[in-house]
Amino acid sequence: MRLTRRAFSTSLASLCAMPALIGRASAQTATIKIGMVAPVTGPAAESGRYAQIGAKLAVEAVNKAGGVLGKPVELLVEDDQTTNPGVVLAFSKLAAQSDIIGFLGPIRSTQVHALAPDALKLAKPVMIGGTDPNLTHMGNPWLFRCRPNDSYSGSVIADFGINTIGKKKWAIVHSTDAFGTAGGKALAGALDKAGATIALDQGYTNQSQDFTPVVLAVKQSGADILGSYFTFENDNGIFARQLRQLGVTIPYIGSASITNATALKLAGPALYGTYGVADYAEESSDAAKAYGKLYRDTAKVAADNQSSWTYDAVNVLALGINKAGSTEPGKIRDAILSIKGYPGAEGEYNFDANGDGLHGYNVVKNEKGIMVFDKHIESKD
Amino acid sequence: MDLALQLLFTGFGIGAVYALVALGFVLIFRATNVVNFAQGEFSMVAAYLMVVCAVDLELPYWLSFLIALAGMALLGIVFNLGVYYPLRNRSFLPVIIATIGASIFLSNAVLALYGPQPQALQGWFDTPGIQAGPVYLDSQYLLIIGVTLLLVLFQYWFFEHTLLGKKMQATSQDKEMASLLGIKVSSMIMLTFVYSAVLGGIAGILVAPVLFVSIQMGSTIALKAFAATIIGGFGDVTGAIIGGLALGIIETFGAAYISVPYKDGFAFLVLIAFLVFRPQGLFGERVAEKA
Amino acid sequence: MSALAQPTRSVRARALPGMLAYIALAALATAAAFLAPVDDYILHILIETATYAIAVFGLTVVLGLCGQINLAQAAFFGFGAYAVGLGTVDLHLNFWVAILLGGVLVAVLGALLGLTTLRLGGHYLAMVTISFQQIVTLVLTNWIAVTHGPDGVASIGRPLFFTSSHAYLALCVLILALVGTLVWRLPQTRLGRAMRAVRDNELAASVAGIDTYKTKVAAFALCAVLGGLGGSLFAGGFAYVSPDQFSFSESIVFLTMVLLGGAASPIGALIGTTLLIVLPETLRFLKDRPGEYLAIYGLAVILIIRFMPDGMWGFIKSLAAAWMRAPPFTEPAPELMLAPAASSATDVLDVENLAKYFGGLKAVDGVTFHIKRGGVHALIGPNGSGKTTTLNVLSGLYTPSAGKILLDGRDLTALAPHARTAAGLGRTFQNIRLFRSMTALENVVIGAERPGGPAYKSGDELILHARAALAFVGLEARAQDLVTSFSYGHQRLIEIARALAGNPTLLLLDEPAAGLNSTEKHELRDLLKRIAAKGLTILIIDHDMTLVADVAEQITVLNFGKRIADGRAADVLRQPDVIAAYLGSEPDAPAHA
Repeated sequence: MRLTRRAFSTSLASLCAMPALIGRASAQTATIKIGMVAPVTGPAAESGRYAQIGAKLAVEAVNKAGGVLGKPVELLVEDDQTTNPGVVLAFSKLAAQSDIIGFLGPIRSTQVHALAPDALKLAKPVMIGGTDPNLTHMGNPWLFRCRPNDSYSGSVIADFGINTIGKKKWAIVHSTDAFGTAGGKALAGALDKAGATIALDQGYTNQSQDFTPVVLAVKQSGADILGSYFTFENDNGIFARQLRQLGVTIPYIGSASITNATALKLAGPALYGTYGVADYAEESSDAAKAYGKLYRDTAKVAADNQSSWTYDAVNVLALGINKAGSTEPGKIRDAILSIKGYPGAEGEYNFDANGDGLHGYNVVKNEKGIMVFDKHIESKD
Repeated sequence: MDLALQLLFTGFGIGAVYALVALGFVLIFRATNVVNFAQGEFSMVAAYLMVVCAVDLELPYWLSFLIALAGMALLGIVFNLGVYYPLRNRSFLPVIIATIGASIFLSNAVLALYGPQPQALQGWFDTPGIQAGPVYLDSQYLLIIGVTLLLVLFQYWFFEHTLLGKKMQATSQDKEMASLLGIKVSSMIMLTFVYSAVLGGIAGILVAPVLFVSIQMGSTIALKAFAATIIGGFGDVTGAIIGGLALGIIETFGAAYISVPYKDGFAFLVLIAFLVFRPQGLFGERVAEKA
Repeated sequence: MSALAQPTRSVRARALPGMLAYIALAALATAAAFLAPVDDYILHILIETATYAIAVFGLTVVLGLCGQINLAQAAFFGFGAYAVGLGTVDLHLNFWVAILLGGVLVAVLGALLGLTTLRLGGHYLAMVTISFQQIVTLVLTNWIAVTHGPDGVASIGRPLFFTSSHAYLALCVLILALVGTLVWRLPQTRLGRAMRAVRDNELAASVAGIDTYKTKVAAFALCAVLGGLGGSLFAGGFAYVSPDQFSFSESIVFLTMVLLGGAASPIGALIGTTLLIVLPETLRFLKDRPGEYLAIYGLAVILIIRFMPDGMWGFIKSLAAAWMRAPPFTEPAPELMLAPAASSATDVLDVENLAKYFGGLKAVDGVTFHIKRGGVHALIGPNGSGKTTTLNVLSGLYTPSAGKILLDGRDLTALAPHARTAAGLGRTFQNIRLFRSMTALENVVIGAERPGGPAYKSGDELILHARAALAFVGLEARAQDLVTSFSYGHQRLIEIARALAGNPTLLLLDEPAAGLNSTEKHELRDLLKRIAAKGLTILIIDHDMTLVADVAEQITVLNFGKRIADGRAADVLRQPDVIAAYLGSEPDAPAHA
């Protein structure tokens, strides 16, 4: 008699079914449930931690203001392990709970792509933080973006560099992952449209350890202004340091990571005087200031975009449900899309038909280690 | 020309880092015939120990350095007892997997204890660097190159001119014979692990101000260091040094003149070329199996 | 612990219901997968488990069976996934066509990787596979024109009739069952035996007639194909692939799965895969402190490797070993037929001016001798005279620096070891080289199925012949025992039986008496005489002068790599320079008639 693996796997399968069955047997609750997939483990664990803090602050705020449809909001978080299969599993685990009204999705665009088919099937609203422009242009009506996408960051960097700083010969440095490649493309496109010259378009692999070749390429290109899309703060820090060491002093506008607390701490003086486009800038609006204070009181450090978008996402979702007056997904969708002029921490939300809530970026300047708000540029597209 | 000089310096600098870590690999391999996949994590743990002592507890730099190295010696002992020693008579594969498990354990234990945020560590010198003509010499890289040189000299003296060093060499070349000659093999191996861990620790602490302290800092370097070891010749210490330096230069020049995104690929292409055409590396010996 | 393919009729009859039961269970599982009222979450887990398990089966083949390390399985998984992704989305190919094309691609790549095993093993092979993996990840990420780069490929469709998740899972389970059968059966096939021999003792395998290089390449190709198949099904299951999923760390995950479950068996692979996918899901409650869960995981890996070296399934099997013994044979073993090839050449072996230099050392320096058909010929000489080197050159383990070797008039000088075995050479080793994971019978079967050896009409006949060889050396009663359970002397006899089973033209025995006590030496002497009586030619190297004087008719003496005597045994042993070569020790041989 052989112990066949079929017997083994089928019994294991039934074992797996247990938690799901038990989960569903929970009694009728008097809360409005929102599901959140976040990287609790894996390379993006840090970002996941901030995301959770932001979301939880929003839940408290919403509940203090009376909750949603008269009931308190409850947040359920599942770890997506920073992997694609992981986010699918985390999302489908939450999706199995039919009493979850809406979801907070990932900030990584590849992970959003991974769960998109399931989101489409489930037909419930998912608030996302990924900035790949395609996410709201692929025919999925259930994704609502609470950060301005990369086509906007590109055009804002270009706009600020050309019109405010006044330089037209650009060097672009970007990471070769999904975020960096999309961002680099967006910036290059915006520059082309504005008639500027691209002297260098240089990709690099994440966790590069040494950026001398890149810095020298920038130097050699003769560019008089630099735009960058860095994914990881340690890469950004090493790059900035080597940039200064090798004597490159041209104006430098970076994507949001250049403004993050970690980057500032790591790179120190190397980043003084640089600009960043940040979806979250504390001085950019009253709502941003309020959020900044709230976050600092709780977390003891300054807020950044890794938490502000989830804060906004919960608030927007709550607003949508309240506006719809029901938990029916179709009505919530219409309600969210009709939100105009909502003052979020990231900016003023005016949802367009694709589900993009924000269309501009803040430009901030690093004044000796303090991020100072310069201006907000709303994209014309 | 200026470009090439700057690239050469940086290549040497990063190459010296690979060489330092490769030294640790080679030593353990020679003594135990085991490739330690957790070697990179040794560097990472030491860097975190430095951060805890020098940054969080604000102890003086030199004291933190000593404490960190002591911690690494302890880690070497625990590693030997927990991972290598129980598996020493098995084939190489279980040991490889065990060291991989150790590497996962170490990086996640640090993650659980300290959190995922990368940290900055101050360099040894206050001046960040010197401008020597057209070339900028990062002071920490100078330190790395200098220390690597010193360590190589120290190692040469230790292994060739002290009794203890010779005993360790004997053990690494032929365990059975060494024990028959009265050398306590298990102590020699313990010493090898301790020394390797401390070496890895020094590498991590030296590199941390330049690359920042993060959970992944060890693994990215270790793989390249392993490649350097093979290019140099797996049994040979000199080979590891030269392999490391060569790799750093190949990478840097390859990135500058061929392609930045494929930079990591050059190391592996060179490695494959060596493995296919000259597996004994630049300096290693051909190993024939006894029929 | 294993049973051979088709032993006696009674055991085969027993295997049939086992096969039927397996088919029934597989059908049941497929139906269950299709009908079970579970939600998407469970379906996703199961699809992930099934597709990963198929890839891990690949590692069962290359690592568990063939003993070669492959740290690039994620690369092959990725190729299969991208083949389906790009094939269906960009090229609008049919799903099945895409899988097929992907399969061909990975088979070629896997074989290429296997080619590197010609010169490399162990750590070096590990490093080559790691490098291959890293380069693949870089290419997938950066060759945007073809692979879509880091954005990955989205909206991957499923094949017709299998679009619902339930149906797709059923498909995966079905394919898993099919593939699982193949991997389950593989160890008992000729290729599978060859792989296991290569894993256990590559040198002995090549000398037993196995083309070890081709075997390793085949193992790699098979591993790659299974990896690609798993990846292709994964792509259809999850509809989205991106390069960051197919990295070195994923290869480590695959490797860990196969080792934890038990590398040598597909059941082990399935256990390992299930554990490492399902466990994190059930341990979600531990996720509050990042890193804690994975730290425990790393620790678990170390502990399992330490305490369960054969993985969990190996551990379970060892517990159940007692009642999993194969049943004894019912038919008695026949008489061993040894029919050396008929040939016109008078001499079986011609060694002409053979030389082997190691740098400056002339181990063998222009040695010539001829071995006549039938009977026992001894090659003796003091330590360091070049006897074993000569033997190694004869069997092809060393290439000669000069000279020629002719077996039955056929030039063997340039042939690889397994080719020489195919030509009719058989040999045993001074340090016994048996395949330690196999039974006595399996060891001898490998010898029996050497290329160029006797032809068998069926698997049953092969087994009978092998049993005959074992009976000839007196060990047939314990044919199904693992070789490690035999005494040293008996292991030597099994090695001889393995060589005999291939019906060799010439049998080379390297120090067969080494390590034997006097009783065992008597048995050996009798055995040698019985072998000679069958008409086989034997070349024996040994130090034991009593044995040599007793069995050898002709003796060739070497000293310092040169031949110093050659002729009838009695004459040679009386020659003064032979005696002097042994430094005055008088051979205590009685006058030999």
